Amino acid sequence: MTFSVALLLILALGVVAWLTARGKAAAFATSARSHSRPGHHGWYVALWAGVPALIFLIAWSATVPGLVASETLSAPAAVQLPADPMERSAVMAEVRGIASGELAGGFHPVSEQLAPIYRSATTRFGWIGFGIAALLALGGGAYAWFRLTPSFRARTAVERVVMIALIAASLIAIITTIGIVFSLLFESLRFFAKVSPIEFLFGTTWSPQTAIRADQVGSSGAFGAVPLFWGTIFIGAIIAMIVAIPLGLMSAIYLTQYAPPTARKWLKPILEMLAGVPTVVYGYFAALTVAPALRSFAATVGIPGASSESALAAGLVMGIMIIPFVSSMADDSIAAVPQSMRDGSLAMGATTSETIRKVLVPAALPGVVGGVLLAVSRAIGETMIVVMAAGLAANLTANPFASVTTVTTQIVQLLTGDQEFDSAKTLAAFALGLVLFLVTLLLNIVALGVVKKYREAYD
Amino acid sequence: MTDPVATPQVPERRPTDWKGKVMQRRIANRYAAERRFHAMGLGAVLLSVGFLAFLLVTMIGNGASGFRRTEILVPVDFAHAAIRLDPASFRGPGREAALAAADFEGVLFESAQARFGGGVFKILSEGAWLTVRNKVADNPDILKGKADIWVPASSAIDRAAKSGTPDPELDRVRKITDVRTSFDVSFLVGADSTDPTMVGVWGAFKGSLLTMLVTLALAFPVGVLSALYLEEYAPRNRWTDLIEVSINNLAAVPSIIFGLLGLAVFLNVMSLPRSAPIVGGLTLALMTMPVIVIAGRNAIKAVPPSIRDAALGIGASRVQVVFHHVLPLALPGILTGTIIGMARALGETAPLLMIGMRAFVSAPPGGLTDPATVLPVQIFLWSDEVSKGFVEKTSAAIIVLLVFLMTMNGLAIYLRNRFERRW
Repeated sequence: MTFSVALLLILALGVVAWLTARGKAAAFATSARSHSRPGHHGWYVALWAGVPALIFLIAWSATVPGLVASETLSAPAAVQLPADPMERSAVMAEVRGIASGELAGGFHPVSEQLAPIYRSATTRFGWIGFGIAALLALGGGAYAWFRLTPSFRARTAVERVVMIALIAASLIAIITTIGIVFSLLFESLRFFAKVSPIEFLFGTTWSPQTAIRADQVGSSGAFGAVPLFWGTIFIGAIIAMIVAIPLGLMSAIYLTQYAPPTARKWLKPILEMLAGVPTVVYGYFAALTVAPALRSFAATVGIPGASSESALAAGLVMGIMIIPFVSSMADDSIAAVPQSMRDGSLAMGATTSETIRKVLVPAALPGVVGGVLLAVSRAIGETMIVVMAAGLAANLTANPFASVTTVTTQIVQLLTGDQEFDSAKTLAAFALGLVLFLVTLLLNIVALGVVKKYREAYD
Repeated sequence: MTDPVATPQVPERRPTDWKGKVMQRRIANRYAAERRFHAMGLGAVLLSVGFLAFLLVTMIGNGASGFRRTEILVPVDFAHAAIRLDPASFRGPGREAALAAADFEGVLFESAQARFGGGVFKILSEGAWLTVRNKVADNPDILKGKADIWVPASSAIDRAAKSGTPDPELDRVRKITDVRTSFDVSFLVGADSTDPTMVGVWGAFKGSLLTMLVTLALAFPVGVLSALYLEEYAPRNRWTDLIEVSINNLAAVPSIIFGLLGLAVFLNVMSLPRSAPIVGGLTLALMTMPVIVIAGRNAIKAVPPSIRDAALGIGASRVQVVFHHVLPLALPGILTGTIIGMARALGETAPLLMIGMRAFVSAPPGGLTDPATVLPVQIFLWSDEVSKGFVEKTSAAIIVLLVFLMTMNGLAIYLRNRFERRW
């Protein structure tokens, strides 16, 4: 009995329960004055029929593999299993494969003997689970069915369940946040048990790739992340912002203050399309078109150290991606400046540009700064553009034509490809992720705080 | 003695001489500055729009040829080939096994060798024999005689034929037989391959669809329910604040962090299968959910309180007010936000790389737990390929992705304009 069949059957049972209970309630609602509507009675019985059985089924499907494995291991043939836990689990994987029909035969002779035991145990526990689930569904349904009377408060009961579902859905956000913090923290602590945090945060040599053999000299690799932090700041917070701040701010000013309404109606969505283009497309564009052009430019001008994967290519393209973000934040904060300030300035004889430069922008500055901080947080967390265009060499250089690497590039690099999950190399990715998470969190909190405080000033 | 109280020296005030030279120059300067500023603003917008246009033109320019494929007409003489294939074996129950076992590659090689002399592998695609196999599967009777079959050309010949650059090998082939370049259906219906002439986007596209299905099924109900709770029921207390802060922060967390979460929780703790759409969908659902919550709350906030008051006034319970009145009225706004969130998830690459959806998958996934890849990851993988034939295929896949995203965003804009009510 497969899980999905049982699920469908229980759902079908729920529908039947809903229909019959609704019919019953509708019948007595005609004669007596009933507290709840027939639909509520229907839902009450359906929930009693479905929910306990579903909860049981999910719990059961999580425990069955363990039960089946212990049953298989207690079979007489299991004494032939190898003692080494690694080989043992390999044989058990074979047994599972043969039992499910994915494998035709096993490499290890024992697996052929254990497979039928495994299969029969799976079937038996499956049937037991299905039986209990069916009993729960029928029992729950029957219990609820016999409680239905005209005076029964079905609506109150159903609405309580709805509220529980609403609260549960809201808690998922908190659970996700906790999950992120704990998974990053847990793996990072394991990393810091191998590499000291001081070395990680202040070391200037990054070469995790050296860990090939355990007995090798320097097999732990070098995990000084400063070049990564510098590369991230250089691309995301310097080059990208040099592109995005003037263009984004000026676009916002033009669209809010100068553009005729028709032009604004067309230009704003077009500008926002820049934010809708997937980052992998930007990355490909940067690597295929921008980077080679910049390199040949650098070669013509005679800049030393020009690389085909340059910080400038990644930063430029990232800046373009960020333009609509800066622009819409600036747009919002300029729009929030009270009209009276603008009118006052114009009435004094200032031109539009003087009003914008001397009154609107200074007044909107906190909002603009908040928007820029949010844009920086987005830029340093951006992955695909830098993975495809910024390169892997961990250089501490301020030459924009040279190759630098970033935190996100290294996370991708460390976690793709073959690795065992306990090596310092893999765990380093989580430590980098933790730093990235904390920095973006800090930037967001500061930025939102600045924006909020500023909004209150004018409200 | 003079007057003890010194009268302050009051400078004589004259009215501003607006017609004077100095003032005229000042005004001219101010107007010039105004025009410069205006032009700078326009320039910034045009430059940004120009970047977008340049990006799109580059992609279309590179990718348009990716939808076309060069084919070469090869007469295959089944009847006189050294490897004899029996038409009867390709009918009836043993058909699949016979098709899998038969050496079509050898047959094609023999015929092509006879026709072109040498260098067959430089002329025909590695997967050219698959075309022959499909022809035989359609009609086994061609095995009784000779058949002229259009097979895909090699990547080098393909590029030469499309670009029009002179290529000695192509000229030689043109003298021997017909060469044509036509719309390539297999790019839209095929899956990944090692040969750029044989690749298709359907495998990745189906992976994307399955992943999005999981994402939608999880993120939409959870997002809508939590938006309803926060906006309609939640008491103002520390817990509610915590939920709000979590949601706002999750919306701003870099996507790669969600990939790390998926790797640590879904793969290592829950040991779900790597590369599977279900894991990708779960990870993207966590990412999309805050977007839906924020959009949903704004849509719910826009429903005027008078609707709630009226429903409460005629005796509806608080749950009935929300589910019978507020939710249907807010739904267009929620759907718009959901589509925008889904479009973002569809274009997302980094978190899916973390959970191993970068495997080489040569067949479209059959279910939620099969190894799969998604369109953006496929683009990333092809962009890494050394073979030059992949450039146009990558750009073509980008065009497919962009068309799909623009359709989704267009749908969102349509929904907003058509159904959203201003109160």
